[in-house]
Amino acid sequence: MKTFEEKWTAWLDGQLTGKELIEFEASLPDKAAAKLEKRDAKKLGALLKRELGTHVIANEEFFSHQLRERIARENVEPFREQAAEVPTWWTVRRLFWTGTASLALFFVFAVFVMREKNPAEQSQYLSQILNARVDPVVSPNATVSMFEAKGDRVTVLWTEGLQSLPADYAAK
Amino acid sequence: MVRSLPFVTAFIALNMSAAPGLHAAETVWSGLVIAENVAQPESIPPELTRIERILKDLFGYNQFQVIGQSSKTLKTGQEDWLATSKFFGLRVDARGESEAGYVLNLKLYKEKELLLETDAKLSKRSPLVIKGPQVGSGQLLLVLVVE
Repeated sequence: MKTFEEKWTAWLDGQLTGKELIEFEASLPDKAAAKLEKRDAKKLGALLKRELGTHVIANEEFFSHQLRERIARENVEPFREQAAEVPTWWTVRRLFWTGTASLALFFVFAVFVMREKNPAEQSQYLSQILNARVDPVVSPNATVSMFEAKGDRVTVLWTEGLQSLPADYAAK
Repeated sequence: MVRSLPFVTAFIALNMSAAPGLHAAETVWSGLVIAENVAQPESIPPELTRIERILKDLFGYNQFQVIGQSSKTLKTGQEDWLATSKFFGLRVDARGESEAGYVLNLKLYKEKELLLETDAKLSKRSPLVIKGPQVGSGQLLLVLVVE
């Protein structure tokens, strides 16, 4: 069963006929006002048809514009897809940060290693006398001492009281 | 080129950190030196040039003459050699190499008589000077330098 709105729409469109038309028009509370509305609706319909006809042309232009845009977009897309396929892990920025991080890591390790070696620096770079002996029979009063001239990085074993020898012993 | 930057950086860093551990064969110069004061001192031997000032300051002599010497290239750090003059002999027995230098046993002989024996660690950057006996108006010095 049709609702009032459906019947009203059909009546405006002139699609109600016969008994249905008579019954519907009889049910209208103000038939004159309804007919006036029907006439206005027809005018509106005619106006819309006319305007829609103008829009048909506008739509062509619109669609043609849309098509041109799409073609242009499709021409650009392949390049974007190609660019997307290139592996981008080693970008310049990443290279820069990786290099910087590597250098920082190296310097951190270098500092730690240098710090560990510092206490042993004296024994690392200066010669050392580990022990010294003189023959007590030949030189009974001999003494030995050792020191380091750090400014010149020279280590000296200093003996005193060794047996003195005549100048002849200086011969080559 | 740009992509290889991290690898080049790592390679350089590894080389820098590994370099101190590498040792090329080095030569140890050992000399018997007579130091004395003379009116016309001769120029100092080239082997002693780098320690000329400290020798003069320490011992107070103005002339240093080499009466016996030996240059030994160390490859294994286990070599031994002899520097001799007419009456003195310095026997050097290398007993190993460390990062800092060489461990040496030194014996000073007067003819066949042992005057002095010492064990020393000779650094590659630090010469070793031993004051020997008085000889006439001068002084016998033993000098060892890694060249």
